[in-house]
Amino acid sequence: MDIKKELIIGKGYAVFPIEKIDVFKKLRDTFIQNINISNKLGDNIDQIRKKIAKMSKAEINKIMVNLLSFNDLSDMIINSCPTLIKRLCGSELFIQRRAHTNINVPGHGQAKVLPHYELMSGISPFCYVIWAPLHDLEDQGGVYYIDQKKSLEIMKKEEEEGLVNGHTIFNLITDQKATLMKFGEAIIFNPFVLHGNITFESEFARIACNVRFQSYNKPLLQKNTDYLKYYKLV
Amino acid sequence: MIIATVTTDLNIGPYKIPGNGQNMIMNNYADRNNLIIDLVIPEPILSNELATVQWLQKDYKMSKLILCSIHQLPFKQQRIDQLLHNMNDVEFHFALEGISGKGRDFLLSCIKEVKMFQNIKIIDSKNTSWLKLYEMTKLQQ
Repeated sequence: MDIKKELIIGKGYAVFPIEKIDVFKKLRDTFIQNINISNKLGDNIDQIRKKIAKMSKAEINKIMVNLLSFNDLSDMIINSCPTLIKRLCGSELFIQRRAHTNINVPGHGQAKVLPHYELMSGISPFCYVIWAPLHDLEDQGGVYYIDQKKSLEIMKKEEEEGLVNGHTIFNLITDQKATLMKFGEAIIFNPFVLHGNITFESEFARIACNVRFQSYNKPLLQKNTDYLKYYKLV
Repeated sequence: MIIATVTTDLNIGPYKIPGNGQNMIMNNYADRNNLIIDLVIPEPILSNELATVQWLQKDYKMSKLILCSIHQLPFKQQRIDQLLHNMNDVEFHFALEGISGKGRDFLLSCIKEVKMFQNIKIIDSKNTSWLKLYEMTKLQQ
């Protein structure tokens, strides 16, 4: 199915190839420069993942602080996928001011993202999210997605019960499988699709980035200049 | 080289932030950016002219000014012109947006961005539901 249709009337999410892979590779290089953990590792992302997998929480926090200077991350993700974004939202956009980088460490007891839909954070219902790993995802370190139909059924059930993110959603964690992906692929999803991740066993940490964007001509919800900035795709 | 923070009316564009909340936001920003605050300036409520700041500038010669948001900048052209004239050499920091810069071009770009956000419809989240929000997207595609 066409990606736009898939997002609106289909599963609500789709895996797609990143259009400007040169921009995305540059993004990965910039990430590696910014985390600044060791010159000996060079630009080998798997060596870096292996090192991060053995780091303490304090050391990973330091990486996250180092990444605060990576100011172009949002723009670079957006510029990696211009045709798709233009088709969905036009050229005039609101994009996330500071895109997120996610580092997930393997092993039980490590933090995981509980199932949620993006709308819960106050982004507009007209927003989309692009999520992309900085390497191949061949283990369960990725993200699982619950298709839009089931996500909406749960949302409806919760609304009838006066709940948001209650036990029905929490119980979704069991038996979920992460989407396997190659470097150069990304997932785009709408803000109604439930998703999360699970603890996983691997010798590698998982590193991914994500950005939210919407048309400049669509309404906002609770996010404003604190979270979004105006951006024009050329 | 005075660094100052500025508290204003709690109505800041789309946000409602009490004075102590504004101080927490700006102090945290200063801490994260290794800035030492010398002066705390309370602007009066019911005003977004930053007039007290400009008046104090004559005596304190501030080099950096920290505010919570670009939404605290003046709206009226006359007030904007005065601010640009009096605070041209001051580096402005906006904690919520995480941006900083100085000079006419920087401040005008911030004011332009505020106006862009002011022109966008905001969904009233007090009068909606998750499913209504979903229906809204289907109607507007």
